[in-house]
Parts: sequence; C-alpha cells; structure tokens
Amino acid sequence: MRATCWMGKQKVSVNHVPDPQILNARDAIVKVTATTICGSDLHLYNGFMPSMMKGDILGHEFMGEVVDLGKGVKNLKVGDRVVVPFCIACGNCEQCELGNFSCCENGNPTGWMPEKLMGHAACGAFGYSHLTGGFAGGQAEYVRVPFADFGPLKLPSTIPDEQALFLSDILPTGYMGAEQCEIHPRKVIAVWGAGPVGQFAIASARMLGAERVIAIDRFPYRLKMAVEKAGATDVINYEEQPVQEVLRDLTAGRGPDACIDCVGLEAHGHGLQYAHDRAEQMMKIQLDRPLAVREAIFACRSAGIVSIMGVYAGLVDKFPLGALMNRGITIKTGQCHVHRYMKPLLERIERGDIDPSFVVSHHMNLDDTPRGYDMFMRKQDNVMKIVLRS
Amino acid sequence: MKSVSAFQSHQDSDDAPGTTLLSRGLGWFSIALGVTELAVPRTLARTIGVDPDGATPWILRAMGAREILAGLGVLMQPQRPVPLWGRVAGDAIDLALLGIGAAFKRTSTPRIAGAIAAVAGVTALDVIAGTRTQRSFQRANRPVVYSVTINKPPEEVYAFFRKFSQLPQFMSYLESVREIDARRSHWVARLPIGGTVAWDAEITEDIPGQLIAWRSVEYSTVTTRGRVTFATAPARDMTEVRVEMQLGFLGTEPSATLAKFFSKPQIKGDLRRFKQVMETGEVLHSDASVHRRPHAAQPPRSDESIERSDMFSANPPTAATGVTPVANPPPNARVTIDTGSAQTAGAKGVTP
Repeated sequence: MRATCWMGKQKVSVNHVPDPQILNARDAIVKVTATTICGSDLHLYNGFMPSMMKGDILGHEFMGEVVDLGKGVKNLKVGDRVVVPFCIACGNCEQCELGNFSCCENGNPTGWMPEKLMGHAACGAFGYSHLTGGFAGGQAEYVRVPFADFGPLKLPSTIPDEQALFLSDILPTGYMGAEQCEIHPRKVIAVWGAGPVGQFAIASARMLGAERVIAIDRFPYRLKMAVEKAGATDVINYEEQPVQEVLRDLTAGRGPDACIDCVGLEAHGHGLQYAHDRAEQMMKIQLDRPLAVREAIFACRSAGIVSIMGVYAGLVDKFPLGALMNRGITIKTGQCHVHRYMKPLLERIERGDIDPSFVVSHHMNLDDTPRGYDMFMRKQDNVMKIVLRS
Repeated sequence: MKSVSAFQSHQDSDDAPGTTLLSRGLGWFSIALGVTELAVPRTLARTIGVDPDGATPWILRAMGAREILAGLGVLMQPQRPVPLWGRVAGDAIDLALLGIGAAFKRTSTPRIAGAIAAVAGVTALDVIAGTRTQRSFQRANRPVVYSVTINKPPEEVYAFFRKFSQLPQFMSYLESVREIDARRSHWVARLPIGGTVAWDAEITEDIPGQLIAWRSVEYSTVTTRGRVTFATAPARDMTEVRVEMQLGFLGTEPSATLAKFFSKPQIKGDLRRFKQVMETGEVLHSDASVHRRPHAAQPPRSDESIERSDMFSANPPTAATGVTPVANPPPNARVTIDTGSAQTAGAKGVTP
C-alpha cells in the first residue's frame, strides 16, 4: 500500500510499504477514506519530537471503512464506516475505567521509553514517534487499529466525511481545552493559537456559553476565520499588538478568567525570550519553546485556569512558577481523552450545534502529502486544514 | 504479610565496621602516596631505587594523580567494592612498572626489591578489603523489587501466575515452563546470544492469593531466588504485584547485583506485559514492537521474522487479513500470527 513516511527532518515521502496485518485479537484493519495533517504532525516533521525513525508511517487523524477484524472484535463488522480516536486505549485498565483514556496504562508497548523522559507512560498513538508505541499511522491506504472493539466510533451515513473526520482528534481536543475552563457566561476566555484546534476551542467555548472569547495569532486569515466561523469576539495579532496590554485592556485589568494554549512546543514570538528559547531548542537543551504557555500564565486572572492542549515533549526553561503559585492559577492539561467526547460531539454535529467542516481549506490526494506538509508548515495559501484521500 | 522470605536467611552476621576501617585506611594511604608522587617524584624515585631522571618523574606524577583519584573514590564510598577493585588494578600497574624499572641498568636492586615487596603487601590488603566489602555489600543489597498494579482481584492474578506454564505468555525470554509436580518446575529460557538454558526450581512458599516464593534447586546452571507478592491496592479491587529476584550462574549464590544487571529491564517489561495480559487479554503489539531490534513503525514484510510473545502458543497461525495476502511464514521464522490466544489468557470479555 501507499503510506506517508517520515524520512528525516522536513522530509516525508509517500512510499510503498507492506499492508498492515492483524497482530492482536482485538485489531481491525481500516481502509482509510479520509485523513489529515495535524498541527502536531509538524512537530514530527520539523524534528522536534524525539524517537522518530526513518520510515515511520505518519498520521493520527483518520476515518475509514472496516475491511478486516481480529477474532476478539464483536461489535464491528466488515464494511462499517468508522472514525478512529488518535489515542490507543484498552478500555480495561483503571485509567480507562475512570475515563482518562489518553492515560491508558496498556496502550503503549514501548512504555519504557516515555518512562525515562516523563516518569510514566501514557497511551499509545498512531504515527506519533516511538515514545507513543511505534504504531504505524493513518496517512496511508490502510491502517491497523488496535483495541478496535473499544476505540472506533461507527458513523451514520447521514454525516459526511468532512464533518466526522475531526472527531478523531482536533474537535475533541479543542472541546476538551474549553471544557477544562469550567465555562459559564461571565467568564472571558483567551485562546492562544487560531489554527484548527484553536478554532475548535473557540467554537467550543462559545458553544459552552462563554460570551467573550479572545483569539490570539499572527496570521490575519486565521484571526478572520476565528471571528467569522468560530465565533471569537475579539482578536489580537501579536505581530502588531502587545498581547499582555491588550488582554488587560479588554478585561479592564482582571486578565482572562481562563486561557487555552493551542500552540504547543513550536511557539513563535518576539524578542530576547524567543531568541533564547529558539537557541536552547536548537542545542537540544530544551525540547520545547513554551512561549504561549508562559504568556498565558502571566496574563491569566488570579485564581484562573490555564488549559494546555498544545503538545509539549520534555523539559522547559524559565517557567513562571512564581506567578502560577502566588496567584493561585490552576493548570489543566492532557492529551485529549478522545473516547470520552466522540459520541457527545457527534450528537452535537447531528443537532447542528457545530459544523466542524469549516476548517477545511484544501483537499489533496495522498500522493501529494509531502506538498501538504510543506505548505502547512509555511502557512501558504491561507492553509488551515488539509484533507487527504487516496 | 511479613512472613517467611526466601531472602531473610541470608542476611545479617556482618563484620562491616572492621572492613570499613580497613577501606578508609587504604583510601588515606592512597592519597598520601599520591601527594608524595606528585610533589617529590625525584626523591621518591631515589628511595625506591630507580633512575630519577628521564621519564621517571612524569610517570610517577601520573601514577600520583591516579592514586589520589583512587583514594578519593574509596573514601567517598568505603562500603562499596568497586573503588577498592580500582585500587587493586592500580597496584597491578605499579607492580608492572616496578618490574620494568628493575630491568634498567641504573636501578638499585635491593631498593627496588623492597619497593616491590611493599606494593605486594598493600595489594594483599586491597584484595582482602575488596573481597570483604564485596561480600557485605552483596549481603546488605536488597533484592531487585519491581511492581505493577493490575486491575483484577488478587485471587485472579495469583491464580494466573501460579500456572507457571502460562508465564512465557508475557515473560518474553522464557521458552517454556513445565510443572513437574506441585512443588517443582522445569524452566527453559532463551539466551540473548542464542541457544537456551534450563533449570529446575522449587516453590519454597505458596500462600494462595498472596505470595509465591521459589528458588532454583541445587547445582543449577542458572541459580535464582525470588518471590512475588499479591496485595490488594488501597480501597480498590486491584492487585499490587511485587516481584523480588536474585540471580546467579553456574551454581553461585544468587545475587541482587547480577539480577539488577541482567534482569532489571526484563522484569519491568514482563510486568508491563503481565498487566496487559491480565487486563486486556493479550500482549499488545505495535508495528515497531514486534521486532526485537529498533524498527520503523511500518507493517512487517512477509519475509521478516517477527517476535511474538505468544509465538509458542499451540494454536496454528491463522491466515491474516483479507486486504493482505500474507505468505506462510518460512519454516524457521519465529512467526505466529495468532489472534486467538487471548482466550487462553482467561481474561474477561471486553465491553466497550
């Protein structure tokens, strides 16, 4: 089959690779009908995520049709149309019983690796380095899905691909970012990053009842979409305006009640701090550039919430622990517990509360994935979300 | 549950204070000698009867630096054997250099003979200190303990583990375990360098739902002693599994040091897989983890031999996927595409 392989820093290619096999009784093989490039794939593309190997198949956001099943899967049948959560969770361990699916204790066969870097292992994930298990990803014609009796969500035929696809990752991720803010109408929410996850965080915050949502980014087309499609009430272009001052202004000195980081480890910015982070990341002294989360903590109202959905990998420098502690700020974070949100969000899509297809900006053939990565990284042609089909 | 342990009989009765005193003495001696070699190499050369010119002062200075480092090492950790073995290695170098020095013309034979005798004496003391420290260090050394929490009641986890023949399902280095009778079992393990090694073990203690302790029988190639305990996690119907293990070879007393060196990563992986088997029904594989060596996250080629924890399962390989025509594995490949072994794990059905 054809699959998008990571071949080195900023090098991906569509290669012919062996077709997936059933390796466990609870596996399914899914023929991918639509997949996308996620912002977090860019961290892999740009070589910031450790433990990538040449030839790794990328992609963790996909949907498709079941074409084969292991003996242990009773709830699906060949031909079912499913969307698959990016995180691989077993449904049996205590974390899964508690609903913390991205903290599944059985989903990562190479768990010793993250244990070294992060203390404990989290769930496995498709196409996301060997720290998350070394699973082949979904930017391919076929993909093997472990724990298929637990993860995939069957889709009604009334829901088109573009509306269902993002249930795999970015819609639940944005939604969880907003849900963690314990939103009620009085609360002012600020969202760092108006990429696809940021758009869904903004839309979810509005959906959950926030009257005022502020979007922060540097690309006018993204800020425009935040207002027109996602429902942001205010925007800050940090290339033109001082973020801290404007936020203070917009909230009459209080600061946003909750801040959502939808940026992650490749944040951009200005000045000494940015140069310093960039240099340290180059020298591998720190794996992440935590500019957005630093800024969010600094801006957040005392006793407020900072919700981190951007991906981070390792240790960071100059973390404003003093601000965090003295002002009683709560940090809520985690890889999205996708399994928790898929069904309720599908219902919201069916009811028409949200139409996630508004983020789709480009359609491409799987063979064009390398061009897609390059374009997405350079933010060319007002790119927002690229849908790939084989 | 502090009942009888397989380990307790081998502890205590130690002369550690005397040994430590000897180690410290040797440490200070090392530093004093080192400083002398560094500060007055020519005087020292004359004293031991070697040519004080040429390369000698520099050799002595280098040896002096080495002595100081060795001394510091011993003084910082007088209870540990490794720095003392470092001193023994240094003694060997000294003796070799003195031997070379004795061959030169301008050397005073009686003096160098005295020096050699002195170094030999110190070497003897170093060996005594090293041996004693090694022994007491090993005695005091706790067995390797690893643990995992399993979301099943202790009785169930114990019952699975107690059927030793099931252990190779998650202990990847084991080829087979055969139960000879209620107490004795025959273990066969694969060696990383190829080939297998086998030993017999006997249960020394067995409390259903709580504890299993075992040791290898006498004259085994691999000597092991271990125990695994099953305890209820606080206020939950889950099991805290703890494994203690000591390991030795060729009839030696099993030691924690060897267990740490050889089996630490192994036991950690075993426990991770044990949890997977108990909770999800089988060992989870990824496209990378089916290979023993690092491998890209790509489905295996049909000619690639892949490692499967259930590869010794009695079930024949099933033809795979429908989308993929999977070639029959070559006769000697260690491949079993076995999707049915989950049921043998006795795990509960999965409810999504």
